[in-house]
Amino acid sequence: MSDNKNLSAVEGIKQKSKGLRGTIQESLRNEITGSISEDDQSLIKFHGMYQQDDRDRRDERAAKKLDRLYSFMIRLRLPGGFLTPEQWVALHHIAGDYSTGVIKITTRQTVQLHGLIKSKIKPTIQAFNSAQLDSIATCGDVNRNVACASHPKQSPVHEQVFAYADKISTLLKPKTRAYYEIWLDEEKISERSEEDPLYQDRYLPRKFKIGIAIPPNNDSDVFTNDLGLIAIIEDGVLQGFNIAIGGGLGTTHGNQDTYPRLGTVIGFTDTEEKVLKMVYEVLTVQRDYGNRSDRKLSRLKYTVDKYGADWFRAEVEKRTGFKLEAPKPYTFTQREDYYGWEENHEGLWYYTLFVENGRVLDTDDLPMKQALLDIAQTGKANFRFTSNQNLILSDIKKKDKKKIQEILDRAGLIRHTETASRIRKNAMACVALNTCPLALAEGQRYLPDLISRIEPILEKHGLSDEQIITRMTGCPNGCARPYAAEIGFIGTAYGRYNLYLGGDRYGERLNKLYKESLDEPAILGELDTLFGEFKHGRHAGEPFGDFAVRKNWI
Amino acid sequence: MLATVKQNAFQELVSGASHEELVWMNGFLAGVLSVGGSLQSAAGSVALATDPAPVKLTIVYGTETGNAKGLATRLAAVAKQQGVRVKLAGLDQYRTADLVKESYFVVVVSTQGDGDLPVTAVKFYEYLKQQQPGFSHLQFAVLALGDSSYPLFCKAGEDIDSLLEEKGARRFFRIQKCDTDYENDATTWFREALSSLTQTSDRAALVASSPAQTVVQKTGRKIYQGTVLSSVNLNDQGSAKETYHIEISAEGVVYEPGDALGVVPENPQHLVLEVLSLSGADPEKRISYKGAESTLLHLLKTKLNLVYLPERVVRKYAEVVQQDIPETRIGLVDLLKIYPVKDAAQFERIVEILEPVAPRLYSISSALSANEDEVHITVAKDRFEVNGETGYGLCSGFLSSLSESSAFSFYIHPNRQFRLPAPEQDVIMIGPGTGIAPFRSFLAERDAQMASGRNWLFFGDQHFVTDFLYQTELQNWFETGVLTRINTAFSRDQEEKVYVQHKMLAQAAELYSWLETGAYLYVCGAKEPMSIDVENTLLRIVSEQGGKTEDQAAEYIEWLKQSSRYLKDVY
Repeated sequence: MSDNKNLSAVEGIKQKSKGLRGTIQESLRNEITGSISEDDQSLIKFHGMYQQDDRDRRDERAAKKLDRLYSFMIRLRLPGGFLTPEQWVALHHIAGDYSTGVIKITTRQTVQLHGLIKSKIKPTIQAFNSAQLDSIATCGDVNRNVACASHPKQSPVHEQVFAYADKISTLLKPKTRAYYEIWLDEEKISERSEEDPLYQDRYLPRKFKIGIAIPPNNDSDVFTNDLGLIAIIEDGVLQGFNIAIGGGLGTTHGNQDTYPRLGTVIGFTDTEEKVLKMVYEVLTVQRDYGNRSDRKLSRLKYTVDKYGADWFRAEVEKRTGFKLEAPKPYTFTQREDYYGWEENHEGLWYYTLFVENGRVLDTDDLPMKQALLDIAQTGKANFRFTSNQNLILSDIKKKDKKKIQEILDRAGLIRHTETASRIRKNAMACVALNTCPLALAEGQRYLPDLISRIEPILEKHGLSDEQIITRMTGCPNGCARPYAAEIGFIGTAYGRYNLYLGGDRYGERLNKLYKESLDEPAILGELDTLFGEFKHGRHAGEPFGDFAVRKNWI
Repeated sequence: MLATVKQNAFQELVSGASHEELVWMNGFLAGVLSVGGSLQSAAGSVALATDPAPVKLTIVYGTETGNAKGLATRLAAVAKQQGVRVKLAGLDQYRTADLVKESYFVVVVSTQGDGDLPVTAVKFYEYLKQQQPGFSHLQFAVLALGDSSYPLFCKAGEDIDSLLEEKGARRFFRIQKCDTDYENDATTWFREALSSLTQTSDRAALVASSPAQTVVQKTGRKIYQGTVLSSVNLNDQGSAKETYHIEISAEGVVYEPGDALGVVPENPQHLVLEVLSLSGADPEKRISYKGAESTLLHLLKTKLNLVYLPERVVRKYAEVVQQDIPETRIGLVDLLKIYPVKDAAQFERIVEILEPVAPRLYSISSALSANEDEVHITVAKDRFEVNGETGYGLCSGFLSSLSESSAFSFYIHPNRQFRLPAPEQDVIMIGPGTGIAPFRSFLAERDAQMASGRNWLFFGDQHFVTDFLYQTELQNWFETGVLTRINTAFSRDQEEKVYVQHKMLAQAAELYSWLETGAYLYVCGAKEPMSIDVENTLLRIVSEQGGKTEDQAAEYIEWLKQSSRYLKDVY
């Protein structure tokens, strides 16, 4: 089985954790620091939180003899990214009461809150619980939030496919009661007694992501997941899913053994029972064969490449007791959100709102958070999140559409969505500075400004209407999926980015490194030249990413 | 004329003496000559022996910082040497019922702040005030300690002196008011008082037994020149508070953990200029104030209290400008605006009636064992709203505005009642807000001493994130084991207010066991409501954990106080 000779430190922490309980309660009781113990920092991820600190404030606080400004990010488990209006109202108030107030829509269709200080964690989780929301297993070495094609208008079977997200999430949820005991005061806290046949006491070697796509739109970026399910629909009937394994984007600067990888389709299966069984056993194979000594090499993609996709499929088939069928044909021709109003097959209406980098907040110009609260309080719209960090006001009856439209209009959100440039609406960045401990450079705080400087260049070349997917991360871990973009920026140091080109428009081909460590003038200079060549040298309709490959820029 | 030895001694005596001391010596020698005697008879045993009836004397003291207690103790020793039967007691422990049995009664009492009694004397004073006159059997004398840089110099002593008289007691010797260098004046006065009550003929003999020592013992206040090394606001962005940690370099500075730094704040420049322009006076004009001459500008900037003049000063101001002015606290600028002076000459008369700026005391938050030649203080910038405008406390405003390398004068104010115990003893420290200051000093000292005793700190403030004063230092002390336990209470981080006393209660069993094994308990910070709440909580803990009745718990606390194991520095 896997090379477990020199287990990484985290493996020991997991095994000793008494079902993810660790010493979290003791850490919470420590009155002199806003942080929790190092081991507990690993464990609290399994409860949906990361400990962070405001890196901008470190020096000043040190001079004030104050400890780092520690806080926690909490991420909800929202399979397929869905909230009722009542839940949105609750989220709105929880964000205001306990966190920075900003509701951040993530690249995996969920929301997270930042800036919770230690003493606010429990009240936050308890308030979420009252709204039937939890943060179980949204971080850590487990199956994370399950992403799914977001827009119900995509297909009449959307609801059927969407239900899989929830079923998979429930199937793969850790069995430990630790979350309930620690955060919801459900007593016990003792030797773990619950058996967890899937995760045992070691969980997975690393995080595990599952995404579901409904062709022809690959908005969920299905191939970037450890496990991707591609819905196969014939004559309006869901036949089953193609299964893709081994996607994953994170790399490490300077580590040649790490690389981004897109998922490999290994076959097709049909019934719900079989699909769930297949999914489950992909996890058990990764659990048993994944690398547990080097966390940089422990994602499923390395296991697949180490043993081969054929071997992997055979191992999974052995465990499920049935074989996968040959993959069914499918075609992706889109990877985008349907901004604005759309109607589904049942006559329900949907408004996709552009939320730059997923940050829902009120500014003087744009009272987005207030408007969304107003909409939620009407009770007339559900809230869905997209993998591109946007928000879909959903399932609105025709008679209620006007009311929603009015609120959106009054807050300037219609204009905001309509007038944002194409490149901006197809851009995405991770959180990065100032809270992400991994960040080497800015992400969401900088990309909007950079886009503002790229827009006139596109304008100059008459490319403003061109759909070009741009993504930026502050480090090579890939949270905003920059390796699956046509233009990828990956931070190497403060103010410097590696520029990646040549990804395709639909998320089926990775980009490659074009130039290293560019500062802003260099980035703008390069893009000016590249856009100029593209404008004059492209074939009709040829996407920017394909042109880059054809011109051998990379 | 004198033998060399005597001459040397005489010259040493004279050359080291202050003007007042020379005057005293002059009078003393004159006295000796006038009774036609010599000092020889007094050299050995005391002339009291000539008085057959031993005198019974009670010395009581009201003390805040321990100075009055120390002095009273030394005076009692002097009296004993002279064959007087002396009883010594603190006013807080004195049984008031005994007053009817006293014959000679000496009160040594200090004055706090704006003419207030020390806390330990309040109970006695209030008791006496309730009594009917009828203490004619009681013969008293009051020794008042004070600080002449405060406006109401020795007011507490004066109050007790006049109250005793009011109640029919007879003053057997005049009141003596002593400044901060009190030792000499006090000893002289006491010897004179003793001699008067023993009616010995050889008055000189009584006071002459050790004049040289009293001169040597002179404890003049040493003024240090400090330079600000650094000043940082310990509170983070978003805090309602500003608390400055100021590190001051002062070569040769001497103090002990528990002591305070005294500083006379300067008036802000804008205020001085406004007063000058309203007065029309020449800033460079040299003016005499309380026997010292300086320019008006200097006087206004460094000596005189210009903000919130007390009513007594307002009254005098009204007399000078001959107008009706309501007697209420008001700033000089406002007075000058509403009731202007006629001319610069009249303003000079106003200057005469102004009171000096009182020095402010700040608990020292450093220890010499950790930072030689340095004093650190922890200053809460006192901010208040007056008529919609933000004002700052004069001294905290002054100190917090000092930038790096600016210089200012200060002195050390010893606090003998707030000292660390022996290194092996356990220490419990309760110091919310700036009450943390002396405990930072304590911890630095205990760290340097490698003290084996355990240390337990209770700290509290408004918000954990912004107001945890000295957080990283306390973390280090906790990690290295200097701090055995630390509990914090941040009142506004949750709906219910949580204060240090709540944390004490949560740790009741452990806290009581520390007390039972001899721990010393210190409280520093706001007198009200904090120190009251803390004491009530202590009573509850002792009662609940020790299975005691309310009275027994109160006795327990009293016993802690009397054994100097429950010490407070509250303000």
